[in-house]
Amino acid sequence: MNVSASQAQGRVPVTILSIQGDLDGSNYQDLIAKAQELYQAGTRRLILDMTDLRFMSSSGIVALHSIALLMRGDQPPDPAQGWAAFHAVARDSAELQQHVKLLNPQPRVDRALEVAGLKTFFEIHTDLATAVASF
Amino acid sequence: MSTASFAAELENLAVIRRFAEETAQSLQANQAAIDDMLQAVDEAVTNIIVHGYAGRPGTIEAQVKRAGDSLIVRLRDQAPRFDPTTVRPPDLTLPLEKRRPGGLGVHLIRHFVDQVHYHTAPQGGNELTLVKKAF
Repeated sequence: MNVSASQAQGRVPVTILSIQGDLDGSNYQDLIAKAQELYQAGTRRLILDMTDLRFMSSSGIVALHSIALLMRGDQPPDPAQGWAAFHAVARDSAELQQHVKLLNPQPRVDRALEVAGLKTFFEIHTDLATAVASF
Repeated sequence: MSTASFAAELENLAVIRRFAEETAQSLQANQAAIDDMLQAVDEAVTNIIVHGYAGRPGTIEAQVKRAGDSLIVRLRDQAPRFDPTTVRPPDLTLPLEKRRPGGLGVHLIRHFVDQVHYHTAPQGGNELTLVKKAF
């Protein structure tokens, strides 16, 4: 998995984190660590660009949630808790959308989001300009 | 039919997925079914590594074959006995904050394939068989 960050300016500054490759149990914590770096550097609005993300497992889903919590300044739950991590997602769903949005998940990844029940908790866009303007 | 053994390490998740995908493609399974099978295989293998072997060294044997109109992936390991078919599925009618923790990976496995079978292997260890209509 490779990640690269760029900046855009809408009504507020937005960071775009592009994720390329596969997101699974071997590297999901690296993605969380990258998001943590961005938060410490001042990012508060984040678009996860999934255009080139080929595969995402349940570990990746937990990473998405952890990143959303990070961006609002909260400590993410222990990823090993599995469903317990989603309990917090459900409680916080309205606010999560203010901080982290998803861009262009490919069909395989989109299906994983759907099966995990996350498509109601993350705003998903297919166009970058629209995603930036949505904050 | 193709069989391979892998060290039970998270760094091998992508290698195992690639083995399963390339073998399934050589059998001419349809790609949508392959994509679903890969999600299930990844979740199952991650569970074996993280919860089965739990940091101890071990191997995972993966066998991919066609039987009639189904793609079959069989995973064998020597971790302590664990039958994922006995994990109760989450009640998806409940809001997420009311669901019991645990079982996310198993839930995803059940969703992405048509059948999941578990046996204790004759030589000891676990044998998990995933079946997906793919031809």
